[in-house]
This record gives sequence, C-alpha cells and structure tokens, in this order.
Amino acid sequence: MVKVRDGDLDRLGMLFERHKRPLYGFFYGLTREQELSEDLVQNTFFRILKYRHLFRGEGDFKAWMFHIARNVKHDHYRKNKVNLKDDLEKWQEKLGHDENRSTEMQQEEEQQMLSMAMDRLPVEKREILLLTKYQEKKYQEIGEILGCTEGAVKVKVFRALQELRVIFKQLERSH
Amino acid sequence: MEARKIEELIGKYNEGFADPVEVKLIEQLLETGEIELTQLRELNLLDQQLLKMEAPSPSIRLDDQFYSFLADERRKQRMGRFSFKMPDWNTLLPRLAFASVVLVAGFVGGYLYSKPSQKLEVYELTQQVSELREMMIFSLLERESATDRLKAVGLTSEMDQVSVKVTAALFKTLNQDDNANVRLAALEAIKPYSKQSRVREELVRSIKRQDSPLVQIALAEFMAAIQEKKSVEELQKLLQNENTPKEVRSKINESIKVLI
Repeated sequence: MVKVRDGDLDRLGMLFERHKRPLYGFFYGLTREQELSEDLVQNTFFRILKYRHLFRGEGDFKAWMFHIARNVKHDHYRKNKVNLKDDLEKWQEKLGHDENRSTEMQQEEEQQMLSMAMDRLPVEKREILLLTKYQEKKYQEIGEILGCTEGAVKVKVFRALQELRVIFKQLERSH
Repeated sequence: MEARKIEELIGKYNEGFADPVEVKLIEQLLETGEIELTQLRELNLLDQQLLKMEAPSPSIRLDDQFYSFLADERRKQRMGRFSFKMPDWNTLLPRLAFASVVLVAGFVGGYLYSKPSQKLEVYELTQQVSELREMMIFSLLERESATDRLKAVGLTSEMDQVSVKVTAALFKTLNQDDNANVRLAALEAIKPYSKQSRVREELVRSIKRQDSPLVQIALAEFMAAIQEKKSVEELQKLLQNENTPKEVRSKINESIKVLI
C-alpha cells in the first residue's frame, strides 16, 4: 500500500487480487445482493486510491480497508435513502422462498441453517461477526475500525454470538 | 475476581445455567480480558463454524470494472506527468546535454562528408559522441523523475550498438526501478540484444525480481517468443507464489505451454 501511496498504481492491482474476496464476502454478507456488493467493492478501491495519501503505513492495511468499506456502505445507504433495516425485511421475504435460498446456500444443512441465522441477525451484530471472520479475529484491529476498545469488541462479538445461537436453535427446532 | 470463581462461572455458562446477572459478569470479564471467548464452549463452536463458512466469490464483472478503472487512472497519471510546466534548470540541463550531443553528431556527419579519407578522426569523434550519449543516459537513469528515466531508456534504442555498461544499466533498471513503466521500457530496450546468451541468462534471472503484474506478463511472453526454455523453472516459481495475480498465472501458463 505504501508503494500505491507513492504513485505505483500497479500495486493496487495486487492489493485488489489479495483482498477482493474477503471484501466482497463482507458486503455480500450484509446485503445479499451480488451486483451491489461488487459495486461497493469497486467503490472501496476507488476511495483507497483517492485517499491513498492518508494511509500512514504504520497500521494494518486490511483494517484501514475495512474502515473505508464501512464508510462506503454507510454512504450508499444514506445516498439511496434506504436503510439496512428495510433491506433486512426484503431479504426476510426472500427467506420464505426456498428456491432462492437453495441456490445461494451451501449444501450441508448445518451451514445452511447458520447462513439463515446470520441473515436474521440485526445488521450491526451481523457486521461485527463478518468483520471477525474477514479480519481473522484480530479484535484490536476491529476496535480501530469501529472506534472502540479491544475489550468492547469482544463484548460485541459475545452478544452477537449469543443471539446467533438463539436464532440457530429456533431454526433447528422448526426443521 | 478469583481464578476459581471465574472457572465456576464459565462452567455454569457452558452448562447453560448462567442467569442474566452472571451473563453480565461474563461480559465484564471479557472486556477486562480475564475471560477469552474461546473458553465459552458453545459460542466458540459457533464462531469456528462461522469461520469455516465458505466466502462467496464475486463475478468476473468486478474484475472487468476494476481493471478498466485502474487503466483510466494510469492514463490520467501519465497525462499528469506530461502536462506543461515551466522548465527549471534540473529539466533544462539534460535537454541542453542532448542538444550538445546532436550538435557534435552534426559535426561528425559533416566530417564524414567533407573528409572521407580521415577515417581515424571520424572514428574518434563517433566514439566521443557515443560516450557523451552514454554519460547522459547514466545521468538521466539516476534521476528521481520517472519521465527522465524513461527518456534515458529511450535514448539507448537510438544507439546502433550499446556497450556492456549500458546493458548492465538497463538490467539494473529492469530489476530495481520503482516504476513499472520504466521497467517495461527497459525490457523493450533490452529485447534487440536477446540473441546474446548473457542477455538471455540475465532476463531469466530477472523474472524472480519482478513484482509488477505487467512486467511479469511481458517477461513471460518474451520468454515464450524467444523460446528460452531455461526460464520455465523461474516461471513455475511465480505460479507457485500465492501473491501472483490470477491473470498473471494464466498468461504464465500459456507461456509455459509454448516453452515445454
């Protein structure tokens, strides 16, 4: 990233190849829309390039990238005057259609159920779990992204996992 | 809090018997770092399952969008470089040096026509022009501006035959220059000398020193074009490197197929 900041744009291609999948996974986990998630990845890289001079080179690039990704997501919903709650309702409608879900979900039943439970989790809790997954459990870096302490991140993860477990068990019982 | 009491609390939580007050206490202990999330058995299992969940893959549309955006940005960057600026002494000096070279070359030409018999003097003058030109190339290659370094590489292609010192400078540029465009230009300038085995060996050695996808692809394609089979091993190492982008891998695979 330091080389990109200093004007070597070819390196941005390398960063894109390395991080496009986790970033896409993060947006897709939040929106469940393929095209929108791809556009948000593209916008994130656009901002990384635009604000490259602000990267100090001291911290973790991935944490900086996810920080920008969250801003991109907020701006998208603000600009389109749609909030994630509305979107959540939209997908909960989608959840009713097994045909839609079956193509998106993985084969194993447990994974399917976990994916379903994730979809039913409130967006801020889903976001913290997605950050934990794609930021590889680096709680301190997640704290930097969210602007809170490492301990506060652990509490947020704990609460999100607790709620996920409750939803997961409800789904298990209804199957 | 005592370690024994913490253990009891974790045990109670793991058995599903913790009341809301105890859950609140667990939160406090997590915040202070006295308890780790991994100690909470069921939640840890759930967390592990989440980590194992396969990440979805974006479609090729994202790659198309990104790379066309990157190409636009590169174009803008190049345009910015060539925009008009009042020349200062730093930029004027190499130009003056170039003008002097052209002037001396004119004298050489004049000599050649007017006194064809004095071959020795003409030869000496030609040598002097080449030396001057080489000096200018070395000086431009050391400059911070990538445009100046590109000019230096361009000057080598105007020479009929470059010296060992110039090819060494071109290889140094190919292997060490910070700018991928300058590296690519150096590779272009080296290509006419690829019949020399020494140059081919240096080119093979250069593969591992490249991290720009553009230069990696250009080198792989050139290796296939000149049928340099000794490059296969180095190209395969690039394939094995997890940092090598997908597009580069596919180009390398194509080159290896041609070579083996």
